Amino acid sequence: MSQISVMIFMDTNIDNEDISILQLSDSFFPTGLYATSNGLEALSQEKKLTSKDISKFITTYLKQVIGPSDCTALGNAYESCKKSDIKSLLNIDDSVYHMRLIEETRTASVRSGNQLLKCVISFSKNKKMLKEYQNAIINGKATGVYPVSFGVVTAALDIPKKKAGLIYLYGFTVSIVGAALRLGILQHIEGQKVIHDLGPVILQTVLENIDRPIVNIWQFAPRLDILLMKHEAMNSKMFIT
Amino acid sequence: MAPARIPRVGIGGPVGSGKTMLIEQIVPILSAEGYKTGIISNDVVSKEDAERMRRNLATDKGLLPEELVIGVATGGCPHTAVREDPSINLSVVEELESKYEFLDLILIESGGDNITTTFSPALADYFIYIIDVTGGDKYPRKRGLGIENCDLLVINKIDIAPYVGADLKIMQRDAKIVRNGKPTVFVNSKTGKGVNTVVSFIKKDVLFGSLPKLGK
Repeated sequence: MSQISVMIFMDTNIDNEDISILQLSDSFFPTGLYATSNGLEALSQEKKLTSKDISKFITTYLKQVIGPSDCTALGNAYESCKKSDIKSLLNIDDSVYHMRLIEETRTASVRSGNQLLKCVISFSKNKKMLKEYQNAIINGKATGVYPVSFGVVTAALDIPKKKAGLIYLYGFTVSIVGAALRLGILQHIEGQKVIHDLGPVILQTVLENIDRPIVNIWQFAPRLDILLMKHEAMNSKMFIT
Repeated sequence: MAPARIPRVGIGGPVGSGKTMLIEQIVPILSAEGYKTGIISNDVVSKEDAERMRRNLATDKGLLPEELVIGVATGGCPHTAVREDPSINLSVVEELESKYEFLDLILIESGGDNITTTFSPALADYFIYIIDVTGGDKYPRKRGLGIENCDLLVINKIDIAPYVGADLKIMQRDAKIVRNGKPTVFVNSKTGKGVNTVVSFIKKDVLFGSLPKLGK
């Protein structure tokens, strides 16, 4: 064993959970999120966008939708799994599914969540709640909507809850920046600057929402909802809404 | 219990090579023999291919229900959607398997892409790659993952070969060399010439000679 390897194994500050964090936050991880623009494609056809617009777009999404809705659902699903409480998990699944107003977005979230679950089941050693949740989906008692599946898999992988929230919001941010790059709104270095500059917003949004009780879940972004509806109806488009 | 797996054929190829038209020729032949097919069409920019197949095969000819032609947007990454991250396509396949157990076959059309397209084995059991003669008779010789690795190479638009200076014998010879003897079929998807041979390969290598399922 090399000296560096010995140092790594002796360092108690890094462990297998860190590898799971890297794996889940990698855009290479297969969940199909690269195919969604979350309405950005429709907005880009309305007006010419700059990197500042992209930052504002993502910030609004994080503060008004992803934080209070998805992050809250994730945190509660995580806790339900840690308590092996399938009943509360199914209630969270039901709430989040019905809060997704746009059909195409709802369907995409269910598809990504199911594939995420299937993928993690293939390698996780802690399969009990993963399997229970998957069986509920197969039996029509749950949908597998993405933020809930994300809470379930991060709990199974023993990723700390706040870090699970960070991965989720970071992944969302990267997926929109990726869409902006492919739409020609940003160039590659601008994209990385947008992600870096949004760091404090991501951190703050996770801290504000990850421990929010499920009864206080909310979202409010009517302009974004209208954009998503417009995108859903577009004839010529590159992205799923 | 998870539904039974329905055999899947992936069809890939460059933009304009004739993927959609090949499907429009394959489905009626299979349908006449009683085989029921579902179609997933990955489009790069529009819903045009899925809508065209839905209109031609379902609405006009009634060969399958309209909901069995499903369009999938790929976020500008057609090969990612069928290879590196086939999550969305797999979800759609699983939905078809769960709702339409009577299907004999699912055809998955990739978005138009370059010659490195291949399908994830998790998504497609059999991979057809289609090119056409307009790129010249050098096309097979230039190789590429799609041409080399596919189970069946289809070379389309043979009727215009003389007008673009493409020698089909050269294409046949080179395809045999770069594909280590795996099959190549020459077709004209506009008229249907050669498509029966493509269907024969599907019946032999994907359906293994099985009869159509009973049911709807």
